[in-house]
Amino acid sequence: MPSVVLERTEARVVDGGRDVLSTSRSALPELDWAAMKPIDDAPASDASEDTAAPDGSRAPEDSTTEVPEDVVETVEEALDFDEPVQPDADPRPLFEEQALPFIDQLYGAAMRMTKNPSDAQDLVQETFVKAYAAFGQFQQGTNLKAWLYRILTNTYINQYRKKQREPYQGTIDDLEDWQLGGAESTTAASSRSAEAEAIDRMPDSAVKDALQAIPEDFRLAVYFADVEGFAYQEIADIMKTPIGTVMSRLHRGRRMLRELLADYARERGIEPTRVRSTR
Amino acid sequence: MNDCGCDKAKRDLEEYLRNEVCRTEASDIRDHLEHCESCRSEAVLAVTLTEAVQRACQETAPADLKEHVLQRLRSVKTDHEASIVPSL
Repeated sequence: MPSVVLERTEARVVDGGRDVLSTSRSALPELDWAAMKPIDDAPASDASEDTAAPDGSRAPEDSTTEVPEDVVETVEEALDFDEPVQPDADPRPLFEEQALPFIDQLYGAAMRMTKNPSDAQDLVQETFVKAYAAFGQFQQGTNLKAWLYRILTNTYINQYRKKQREPYQGTIDDLEDWQLGGAESTTAASSRSAEAEAIDRMPDSAVKDALQAIPEDFRLAVYFADVEGFAYQEIADIMKTPIGTVMSRLHRGRRMLRELLADYARERGIEPTRVRSTR
Repeated sequence: MNDCGCDKAKRDLEEYLRNEVCRTEASDIRDHLEHCESCRSEAVLAVTLTEAVQRACQETAPADLKEHVLQRLRSVKTDHEASIVPSL
């Protein structure tokens, strides 16, 4: 019986602070004050119980700001005995606040994976639903972005990749360098700076096309490293491969990208010599 | 091929540019780049490629995707609550 009164009163205290406290005191004169002990310890009422005016104008002004926190704490203690404290707070607001800002980035990665907007959107939705379901396992303070990318990549591999069979899939890491083309480091510094300028002027669509044209494992390594700026170890975790494989995929992927972009520049007549003259 | 540091610099250039080499190696490569135009141009090219890829891959999710995601999350939540209520 007293506990019911206590609950109701304290709930209002939490809401309204000092004024409500005083009001409920005057409104409920028969209240069991011993049970209210924890609240009487709060700064607002300190030692002023006896001198409290009936209208409730008794607490010192300077302590007002501290009241709610202290009261909330004591209320939780007080309620502990007959009602379980709220279980785990609803994780959704925290999840939405922390994870949703990555939606553009995840969509960008999903686009590079699925190559079309509709599948990319499905993949991103799927990723968020899975991430939310597993959010309890996410350790706050660790890298949420990498965690989300791991889920995205897993989801993609399990659900989408099967449909899309890539030509070199599974064996791509075993290909010899000569099979992948190459031979860049013999070029002179001048032609490299021309190449850099050509790449710099390359339309985004050409860069995207080139990226889409390289084998998926290479493409993702390049994407994770260059666009998302993940460290090798993070990429290794996301792609579930050793770091050495990440490095090899990244190097080879970038080399292939360079060649494709050089081809594009040649075809479009973005000649090194002409580019060079802008220097 | 020469042994003025080019081999090592070129081999580890990507890792150097991504801060994936240890501090002493990084300072070796940095020193080498200062004196070697060839390797420097390789580094510029590597950075340019990274920037081009970054630029090309900027995407903005379609406006309604966020809404769809929120709806999905809320329906998951509702299912969750529905499954818990009977046990209380």
